[in-house]
Amino acid sequence: MAADGSGSVRRGRARALTTPGGLFLAAVLLMSVIPVTSAVRDPDFWWHLRAGQLILDQHGLLGTDPFTYTVSDHHWVMHEWLTEVLFAGLHRAGGLGLIVITLSAVTMAGIACIALRARLPLPALGHDDPPGGRRVGPVPIGVGILLAVIAGYPIWGPRAQMETFALTCLTLYLVERHLRLGGRALWALVPIFAIWGNLHSGFTIGAGFMGVVLMTEVVARRFNWSGRAPRERVRTLGLVLAACLAMIVLNPNGPQIYLYAFQTQFSPAQQELIQEWHSPDFHDVVVGAFALMVLSLAVMVAVTRQVRPRDAALALLTIAMALQSVRHIALFIAATTPLWIEQLDAVARLRPRQPRSASAGPARRPEPPTFFRVGVVAIALVLPLPFVAAKVAAAAQTREDSSFYATDFPVCAARWLNAAPAGLRVFNQYGEGGYLALRITPAGDRIFIFGDAALMGDALLLRYGSVEGISSAWNGVMTQAGTDIVVFDVATPLATLLSQSPRWVEVYHDDHNAAFVPATQRGDALRARLPQAGAARGSDGVCGSSVTTAVGPAATVAARTLP
Amino acid sequence: MNVVTAPPLPTVAAPAAPAPSAPERRRGVAGLPWLVGAAALSLAVTTRQFADPDVWWHLGVGRIILERGIPATEPFSFAGAPNGWIGQQWLYEVGLARLVAAGGPGLAMAAMGVVGAAAFLVAALATRRGEDIPAPARAASLLLCCLAAGEVLGVRGQVVTVLGTAVVLLVVTRWRDGSQRAVWALPPLFLVWANLHAGFVAGLALLLAAAATVAVHRRVGGEERARVRPLLAATGLAGLATLVNPAGPRLWGYVADTFSNPTLTQSIVEWQSPNFHSFWPRVMAALVIGVVVLWALGRCRPDPLDAVLLIGAAAAWLQAQRNVALLAIVLTPQLARYATAAWRRQRELRPARVPSRPGRAPAGFGWAVAALVAGATVVTVVLPATASATTARHEREGWPAAAAAWAGQHRPGARLYSLYEWGGYLAQRFPGQRVVWIYGESAVFGDQRLRDYLVVHDLQTGWQDMLARNGMHDAVLPVEERETVAMLEVGWTPLCYDGASDSVVLEQGALPPRGATPPDPRSAPSC
Repeated sequence: MAADGSGSVRRGRARALTTPGGLFLAAVLLMSVIPVTSAVRDPDFWWHLRAGQLILDQHGLLGTDPFTYTVSDHHWVMHEWLTEVLFAGLHRAGGLGLIVITLSAVTMAGIACIALRARLPLPALGHDDPPGGRRVGPVPIGVGILLAVIAGYPIWGPRAQMETFALTCLTLYLVERHLRLGGRALWALVPIFAIWGNLHSGFTIGAGFMGVVLMTEVVARRFNWSGRAPRERVRTLGLVLAACLAMIVLNPNGPQIYLYAFQTQFSPAQQELIQEWHSPDFHDVVVGAFALMVLSLAVMVAVTRQVRPRDAALALLTIAMALQSVRHIALFIAATTPLWIEQLDAVARLRPRQPRSASAGPARRPEPPTFFRVGVVAIALVLPLPFVAAKVAAAAQTREDSSFYATDFPVCAARWLNAAPAGLRVFNQYGEGGYLALRITPAGDRIFIFGDAALMGDALLLRYGSVEGISSAWNGVMTQAGTDIVVFDVATPLATLLSQSPRWVEVYHDDHNAAFVPATQRGDALRARLPQAGAARGSDGVCGSSVTTAVGPAATVAARTLP
Repeated sequence: MNVVTAPPLPTVAAPAAPAPSAPERRRGVAGLPWLVGAAALSLAVTTRQFADPDVWWHLGVGRIILERGIPATEPFSFAGAPNGWIGQQWLYEVGLARLVAAGGPGLAMAAMGVVGAAAFLVAALATRRGEDIPAPARAASLLLCCLAAGEVLGVRGQVVTVLGTAVVLLVVTRWRDGSQRAVWALPPLFLVWANLHAGFVAGLALLLAAAATVAVHRRVGGEERARVRPLLAATGLAGLATLVNPAGPRLWGYVADTFSNPTLTQSIVEWQSPNFHSFWPRVMAALVIGVVVLWALGRCRPDPLDAVLLIGAAAAWLQAQRNVALLAIVLTPQLARYATAAWRRQRELRPARVPSRPGRAPAGFGWAVAALVAGATVVTVVLPATASATTARHEREGWPAAAAAWAGQHRPGARLYSLYEWGGYLAQRFPGQRVVWIYGESAVFGDQRLRDYLVVHDLQTGWQDMLARNGMHDAVLPVEERETVAMLEVGWTPLCYDGASDSVVLEQGALPPRGATPPDPRSAPSC
């Protein structure tokens, strides 16, 4: 009997896939791979990779910052050590492409969890939320996922944050499933949090969301609001949350990891200087999808007036977070997309339907033959495949020193620096510190700053900001730090100023970066030992004729191997 | 939170009576002191110093109009402007110039403060008849919304648009109550508005949104008493009335140029999305979210027009933070209305154990309190803020007053490079000399001038060439601005330092020798 039952369920699912709605949802999920899969855009990715390589080489965590000449004595709370080791392991096994594909799969897993949460049986109306059996159809789910994938475009890509996105989606799915259906699957969160605490400090988000759901349920019971979950399930949620919080401590930093997470969230310097922490720019078309989700959600809630308190609490919290920082749009998507889908479904059901006449009986169209269904599914799913495969292949084939990255990262400048004398102290752009950490620090060079803002500290961030923003203290900050050479983006005020200042001399130039040394005796001595631009060109054509040397003869420099 | 419930949903908001009954009228009059008191208190927010950079060149233009009439071409920039002068705010500019001439900046501040407060007072009155919203709720809503929008109020033409929008909102509300006469106030309103500020398009958009929403709502079975045709006819006439201005139909081209200028919307802070790391945008976001929550908490679904207006105004605000005042106007009646509805719903769910009977205050008590509040606000906030000593100090500290005076005396007629935000002040200081390059009238200057300015301001490649090409060998700048640092680095000389505004007058010099340290501008002679 059981086998028959599961067989009929499978057949039912197969049939559901061949409905227009099912095909639409399947196509949306498949096409979602395209925006979700990209080459590395996150500047922090590179230093995570280098940190992982160092951990694997040294068989242990790093006590202090190994990359900078400014805060090298700062204790490093390696809250993402497991992610970094995974990056390094994958890189050794299959290069950058394997990391790109793995993180794309992780993001897609998160999106699948959103779809599963939206597909949970809807509760019957009334108190204590018993499941009513009806589920949201595939079309609203498809529309919601489509909009969410567009809204999250600024965030997607290979980055550690995608782990938090996927795990947040999974957490919320398991929590909602438990509150609606019960069962013991919720306890799976305890080992998940034990791993999460070592992967990314975003575990606080998962735990925070669970706490918000728990508190909302308690308040809903206190005030007798409808739409709440049964008391026993809420109690279990509380126990699981406590166990998860206890498991977080199982990491190399112990309870200190909690402090770290909050330091990052409440640093005014980070919030002001780091673009990702800025509020969304609604002139950006992609951010417009997020605005559309928020505003349409408000309208739909006003029309349906059916919101579970826990969903409302999560929506309000994540809207506030996303308005605060563009990077939190991912959390908004994780937490609020299922609510948006449910609201869309509810609005669609408000439409008056034509009553069927009783005498006519249930009108059912004849089912199409199986070969027709299979054909339709094949066409609908196979057609997007070439696009998806092309995108994945393109993203997976990139190398860190390829021309693909030369437009966004200092690929050529790093090659040139690698041919220069070792041990240089390089003043760099904040967003390029990670790449330079990967490419030039193995040979002994040190950089001014990179993307672990908590490790850098607010004082260094502000000093850096005074240089990048060209305050009157800009030159003093660089020289007092003992900077040997400045490597900066050409299209920045600082690069323009340095190129015209009598106190600095340009020594290198390519399409993306320029390098400068001080117009002092020490700078002259260094300049004499710097290589010609040809050192950056190499034989692969990545750094072409745009690379120029602005100085005279260069000393012979021993070639250094790339990491 | 009111949540998953089988929705016995009444249609939209309570239908309104066509005319107020006698008890309603009495309640309205009795509640008026609350509103007047709140509006008087809001003067503390709406009365602001000359903080908007554009106010100065508007003042300068107003003086020119009083002397010679509306200029035909751009009057202040040595480089002229590719587009003709529109004079879209000529009436506001004349009024501003007259006020400043009569009583100094303080009088203009007070007058525009009253206009701002009046806007929120009118908005608080824009609720449907028969809703019986308590006056304290309206007063609280007025104050909250005024506070949240306070940063963009003060002496600026946009405040006129804020008042105009509030009046349109009130007219639409009365029209929906069944008053056919109210809509005929629109054509004269827009006739005046189009000569005061180009933001009248917001009013027209509101009217069209109202007509469309009411028509659709009625079509889907909603209860609507108002007839759409009179509103559309009045709106059409109002649109025609906007053509009665010195620029005629070109005024609409000016509006289109402003909205379609990508450099403007990307580079000028006021046209950018709100920064939610700041306090007041957070407050406004909380108010908007709060109203949506109140929609869900009340007994009825929200009025569809309320939903359309709030969503539209919120979208406009997310696009450009300057629209916060329009959002606040839309929000003011809704906050009072839905907070009251939600409060009543909660009281129905939990009836009070001890029925309370409110005591009746003696006649005139409310007005006495309102007068006291108004008096206290004027004495403690408005009068000190508008005193001539205060406004003069603000000008000295907020604007390069001493630096401009020095430049006028020692570098007469020199083409001065300065910030976009300071161009208006310098233009007003030297009205006949054409010493500035650019200021806030961006639609007249066009996109190219703004991009040229950004070449210098952002120290893009060729910034020195841009200065040389335009013959700018002198500058008036804040000391800590990046152009100042860069100019000093490449050999410009500080001529004098204005300590009050921390600004400096610079003159181009020769490139310093290799390794030379630039001079400290704060050590230059005092302006």
